[in-house]
Amino acid sequence: MSFDGYKTVIEEGDTVILYLTVSQVYSVQAEAKTLSKKGVEVDNVFQTPYGALKCSDLIGKQYGSKITLSKGWGYVLQPTPELWTITLPHRTQIIYTPDISMIVLQLELAPGSIVIESGTGSGSLSHALIRAIKPHGHLYTFDFHENRVKLVEEEFNCHNLGAFVTVTQRDVCSNGFGSDLDNKADSVFLDLPHPWLAIPHAVNSIKEDGGRICSFSPCIEQVQKSCEALSRLGFQEIQTMEVLQTSYSVQTKRLPVLNLDFVKTEKDGNETKGKERDVVKSVMAVPPSTQPGHTGYLTFATLPPVWARKLQISLNQAQESGNDLN
Amino acid sequence: MEDSTIKVGDFIIVQRQGYTKLHKLKAHGTLSLGSFNVEMDNVAGEKYSETFQMKNFPGNKRLFTLERVDEIASTTSINIEKSGIDNRNITDDGQSQNLTTEEIAELKSQQLNSNNIVEKLITNSKTFNSKTEYSQEKYIKKKEKKYFEYVQIRKPTIRLLASMFYRQDPTKTLGIRIDDLSQILAYSNVQSQGTHLLYDSGTSGLMPAAIMNLIGRDTSAHLIHIHPGNECQKTALVAMQFPQEQLERCINVNIYSVLRCYYQNKTSYSEEPERKKAKLDEEVAKKPAWQKDNERACRLLEMGVDSLIVTAKEHPLSIVDELVRFLKGGRSLVVFNLSREPLQDLYNHLKEKIDFVYIKIACNFMRNYQVLPDRTHPEVNMTAGGYILTAFKLVS
Repeated sequence: MSFDGYKTVIEEGDTVILYLTVSQVYSVQAEAKTLSKKGVEVDNVFQTPYGALKCSDLIGKQYGSKITLSKGWGYVLQPTPELWTITLPHRTQIIYTPDISMIVLQLELAPGSIVIESGTGSGSLSHALIRAIKPHGHLYTFDFHENRVKLVEEEFNCHNLGAFVTVTQRDVCSNGFGSDLDNKADSVFLDLPHPWLAIPHAVNSIKEDGGRICSFSPCIEQVQKSCEALSRLGFQEIQTMEVLQTSYSVQTKRLPVLNLDFVKTEKDGNETKGKERDVVKSVMAVPPSTQPGHTGYLTFATLPPVWARKLQISLNQAQESGNDLN
Repeated sequence: MEDSTIKVGDFIIVQRQGYTKLHKLKAHGTLSLGSFNVEMDNVAGEKYSETFQMKNFPGNKRLFTLERVDEIASTTSINIEKSGIDNRNITDDGQSQNLTTEEIAELKSQQLNSNNIVEKLITNSKTFNSKTEYSQEKYIKKKEKKYFEYVQIRKPTIRLLASMFYRQDPTKTLGIRIDDLSQILAYSNVQSQGTHLLYDSGTSGLMPAAIMNLIGRDTSAHLIHIHPGNECQKTALVAMQFPQEQLERCINVNIYSVLRCYYQNKTSYSEEPERKKAKLDEEVAKKPAWQKDNERACRLLEMGVDSLIVTAKEHPLSIVDELVRFLKGGRSLVVFNLSREPLQDLYNHLKEKIDFVYIKIACNFMRNYQVLPDRTHPEVNMTAGGYILTAFKLVS
């Protein structure tokens, strides 16, 4: 119940982020009981590298406070879409914050926006979309996988976000987004293996005033087909990009300094003095030795309002036929 | 749909090919677009996203008027007779164009028509026909860009403003690139609820505009926008044309004056504003607006803020040190800087203070792609972004 707005105190049923170190961040439910894998009700105990945590003990604690574990300590934080992205249970590949932030900004979302998303996947992006459009906006999210739809809907309700989102099981490539959404959406997000099949449906769903679209694809071949479809259907400002993030670890290191001056003069018995090692303290930012080098290509485009669409289509067509000539 | 009509007084973005410019539409105003002076009269009353053709003004070479068009004659309709296989026989001797600069200028002043001009340039080029197909297309695109006679009128959005400022001059936004902006907003968890605190000393109003955009209309959230000058930079903030109700929830205050009010003038803001009004109506009326803003800001600061964002020209350490007292426990601090070193100082400082966890410094690699049939590759030029420090404050 802890995703809508800001909270001070952990209440029963809240999803809580448990922070141990930068690389050890988890999400737990502040509930006394949980269901085991066998479906039996058991005490909700979360095992951390620093000892066990009885989740019911979290209730009544303040967000941002320190909690003691048997072999150390941790901190409890209120979940944000960013924290949820790094702690959520993966049911699919997910989109991470650098891409998500760019999607939210490029889709020009604001409270009140109507957004379509497909596929829902594990709901990593959905949480950020909902934050941007609530309280007056709405997210319509589609996935063709029955169980994923069921689980993500439970999560939205558990996170108190159910009022801002409608989850539907549907293959949008074949069946579109439904006539209920015709000319309703401000923006459409596609993360599909064949996004170019859904783009014509997106045109139907976007408002007559126009709107923005984004397609996330890992492969460049998908991007090419999507861009072709976008251009054919009269989209403008078609732009493809990638964003990769590097996190630095700031360390103060002591670096030894070699003294090489003594070699210039004759030995006089004082060499032992010169061999004392000098050290220099230096603050440095160390990047990780490995990091993701590719996530996906983000393709963005604008669908102009209906009154400007015809001109854009003819312009794009002229360009396409120009390309064909070559 | 009333919003989609362009009105006198509107802030508009004029787009010509990849170039964009922010403009306040006045009655009988002109806009200088590169070397062109454009009369903007005909734009009012039309709709956003419409395309207009720049037409020469009789008797004035530099002056153009705009005429709405439903169709664009594209240069791709130019007939190319033949193409070469490769560039083995092309030498760059500066002699390939038969037209002189004066002749080209004359063409341009007769009628700005990219189609026409590009065609003339091609027929007078010695080498064009021996260029490869790809090279020919590139040539046409390049020339078309120079003589393109169409502009589109767009309504300002955060995306358009951010990329416009960055392209014009990255220092206009302290070097905040669009990916930096997107992540500052994400990590700070700004939304339609809560009170948000921003220290900004030079993003042309982009930061407050972007935050106000996420705060939204008819919501409960507030932004306290602290700046170091007499007036805050607000180009982007006014360009967004937020409704009055929304704009009133952005409180712009000077850093020295609001903190002085907070520390030295507690009585002035701790009283209920309504009660005070009844009691001292005259005195309230006499108070300058900036003072009322300071008091409003102080009342909000006293309750604590839900995010702190610092996009400063100055070293961020002392600013963060002071403003972070207002940040509630469990909430995010986000600091941007074009260089990593000031953030490293801040990182070590926050580590020592022990009331921050999850302190991170990150930067981005962002690049754009040219996507064309058989010619897809990263764009030739790329830019360098800045660094973002994020941290969570603990409850004391």
